[in-house]
Amino acid sequence: MTKSIDTGRRVHPGAEMYAREHLAGKLSRREFLTRATALGVTAAGAYALIGVPRPAQAQQTPVQGGTLRIQTSVKAMKEPRAYDWSEVGNQSRGFLEYLVEYQRDGSFRGMLLESWEANEDATQYILNVRPGVTWNNGDPFTAEDVARNIRGWCDTAMEDNSMAARMTGLIDPDTGQAREGSVEVVDDLTVRLNLSSPDISVIANMSDYPAAITHASYDGGDVFDHGIGTGPFRPVEMEVGVRAVIERATDHTWWGTEVYGGPYLDRIEFIDYGTDPAAWLAAAESGEVDLLYESVGDFIDILDGIGWTRTETVTAATLVFRTNQVAEVGGRVPYANVDVRKALALAVDNATVLELGYSDRGTVAENHHVCPIHPAYADIGPAPFDPATAKEMMDASEFADFEHELITVDDEWERNSGAAVAAQIRDAGINIRHTVLPGATFWNDWTKYPFSATSWNHRPLGVQVMALAYRSGEAWNESAYASPEFDALMAEALSIADADARREVMAKIEQKMRDDAVIIQPYWRSLYNHHNGNVVNAEKHPSHEFHLYSFGFAS
Amino acid sequence: MALFILRRLGVMLLTILCLTFVVFFLTNLQPNLEKLAKTQGNMRMTDEQVEIWLANRGYDRPVFVRYGEWLGVLPGWVGETSQGEPVGRCTAEGMPPLAEGEAPPAFCGVLQGNWGWSTVFRAPVGEIISTRLGLTGILMFWVMVVMVPMALLIGVLAGMREGSRTDRSLSTVSIISTATPEYVSGVILIAVFASSAVGLRWFNGTATSAMENVTFQNFTLPVVTIALYGMGYIARMTRASMTEVMTAQYIRTARLKGVSFRNIVMKHALRNALIAPFTVIMLQFPWLLNGVVIVETLFNYKGFGWTLVQAAGNNDIELLLAVSVVSVIVVLVTQLISDIGYVYLNPRIRIS
Repeated sequence: MTKSIDTGRRVHPGAEMYAREHLAGKLSRREFLTRATALGVTAAGAYALIGVPRPAQAQQTPVQGGTLRIQTSVKAMKEPRAYDWSEVGNQSRGFLEYLVEYQRDGSFRGMLLESWEANEDATQYILNVRPGVTWNNGDPFTAEDVARNIRGWCDTAMEDNSMAARMTGLIDPDTGQAREGSVEVVDDLTVRLNLSSPDISVIANMSDYPAAITHASYDGGDVFDHGIGTGPFRPVEMEVGVRAVIERATDHTWWGTEVYGGPYLDRIEFIDYGTDPAAWLAAAESGEVDLLYESVGDFIDILDGIGWTRTETVTAATLVFRTNQVAEVGGRVPYANVDVRKALALAVDNATVLELGYSDRGTVAENHHVCPIHPAYADIGPAPFDPATAKEMMDASEFADFEHELITVDDEWERNSGAAVAAQIRDAGINIRHTVLPGATFWNDWTKYPFSATSWNHRPLGVQVMALAYRSGEAWNESAYASPEFDALMAEALSIADADARREVMAKIEQKMRDDAVIIQPYWRSLYNHHNGNVVNAEKHPSHEFHLYSFGFAS
Repeated sequence: MALFILRRLGVMLLTILCLTFVVFFLTNLQPNLEKLAKTQGNMRMTDEQVEIWLANRGYDRPVFVRYGEWLGVLPGWVGETSQGEPVGRCTAEGMPPLAEGEAPPAFCGVLQGNWGWSTVFRAPVGEIISTRLGLTGILMFWVMVVMVPMALLIGVLAGMREGSRTDRSLSTVSIISTATPEYVSGVILIAVFASSAVGLRWFNGTATSAMENVTFQNFTLPVVTIALYGMGYIARMTRASMTEVMTAQYIRTARLKGVSFRNIVMKHALRNALIAPFTVIMLQFPWLLNGVVIVETLFNYKGFGWTLVQAAGNNDIELLLAVSVVSVIVVLVTQLISDIGYVYLNPRIRIS
């Protein structure tokens, strides 16, 4: 095992500890990479720490040129901090870049940041801005740009800013803005972040899709119209629900050509084929697209059958069946009662839902939203399944003859999984009805449905989703779960940089989630996509990201 | 005649007014406005945020007033956001840019030529309607080119000799084709001619690429799907009218005179037999609009029907209003044409 790291800097002690844990078999390689790179070790350095050479990129280099047509939803552009769909991030990813990029293997690599270092308790981060980066209008990209964007993320006055919840350590709770001195510009290429409490997810959060870096002249609105970014492409055309087009910016020298290679494509078209996978299949069969955003359900096999190439990634993406604990149904609030929620959870066998709803393409989850691939996952055993007790508990509650209504969106796998959940609850002898709503109707009121399914994307660290989704009053908490005890545990977990120490707290959090029956979480999804066999570097990404600069054609 | 057309136009205006008000009223019900706020703002907004969002955009005022503003008979709404910036209907996105120092107009409704702003597509409504209507126009044109000659041919062949084997078999075909709705025939056609399931793969199962470049491959299935449905109906009407003409006295006279059957059909029967189908063809237009909604969604062809689905599904108020106006005009204008055309084809009929 060698300790010489290519940057010549001292290795973060935490990373060395993770390396020992990995070698001792306590951490998987993916977990190790995620955690070590989040602390500022390069991917190559991280591989060196565990004495493994970095796997050579097996993919071939794409040929130069070509137009790539991608089937994907084309959604209306927003201010990046308000992005609520991965697709929106992908539409602008060609020209609005990120500080950090999350890799398919679970590691982070610098984009607009060349490197970063965290201090030992993860309360201070030094961000080294990549030299030689320019905006496509000719302005140089500097530490000021980084600091301005980070301060923007901390703006809680903007009602739909989802970055604020991810930057709590930098925000002054009194003003609702970035705390004085929390974001320091040290010199032209260095920014220092001083957090009020340890936060281990800062770097991971910088790779998330609302963290796109915008120019000083941007002040809200459609980023396609504004068009100034650091990326190798420029926006050309945007018609919501129809298509979006970006083209290579030939008058702009992109920094990444020297560093990572690319861009290879001349033009990229995002074409919207609606939400029905049958239409995506028709598009694939007729050769109108080269790459699908995602392949789902039975269509994975059908697409294999027509000769398209499948790619797969294991993720912590999941479908969560949650009750809304404050929702009123006919003047009563059924899911405020913990026994009712528990009975529903007890009636569902997660493995069955995985098999029927998602054709066994994933792993069984345990009703607490922490995935085995998350670094601090604590194994508290499988979720209990006991339909007889479920029936007893339901009968004992005041909602014995209440008819539950499970609402899911009309989307192949969500609908099927919902049907599997509802059928099992019905088999246990509890009254339930399954309502399937079309996408256009479902999303209008979905956070308030008393009992419904939410699809969650993969996030690199377990605490990231938990902090966003289950803390009291949090913007994305549609279960309306409010438990001071849980909040306290979360605050504790978020300040423990060491995953082993955090695991103890995570075990309590997981148990708390299960005891309070906040969610029924049947499975973790593997994600798939398909391409026509001629597309290179477009393997499915765990967070649905398109790293467009690396995409290209084999011939 | 002029009076007749004028009266018809009056009825059309009245229908448009009534229909748009009904649409306006329904899309402005509280739950629908809430839905609008959430899809435009954020899926996870709270009730208070929704109310502020609506108030900031002038949605919280009486429905009659806002309908008047949309029409352009009341001055456009002016207000300010929670940050204190002035906003207003006549300065909103989609309005023509103002020259330096020029004050925004007081009225900016449909009467002033402003169709408003589509909240789903983030573009001016007038622009969307014209592009999408153009695309549907192309689809309709090819449907007519395929449907009308085929239907007339089948109808005339079947009606020539009532009760013959040709008549029976053609009638069966047309009844089946008209009894199969588009969403059934479309799916069957895709399965048979476009998927690997059957393996023919002659055509594309989607018409998305036809929006830029119509080819035989990408446009056949949507055109055939709509044409099949309308064809059977027109063919049945043509047949009925043809059989009636063939039993007329003057046809019998012509036969007795020894005119060849071919000449009887072509020269004597056809002109009289085509009067009824003309009306039917014109009345098919509104039905085609209906079919277009299904077929465009099925084949992902982003025309007028698809726009209607998107506007209705997302409660896009101004777009939906414009769609209704266009639909009313299409229906009533085709009826007007059919009435006027009928007078010229059939000298026995007089209007007014």
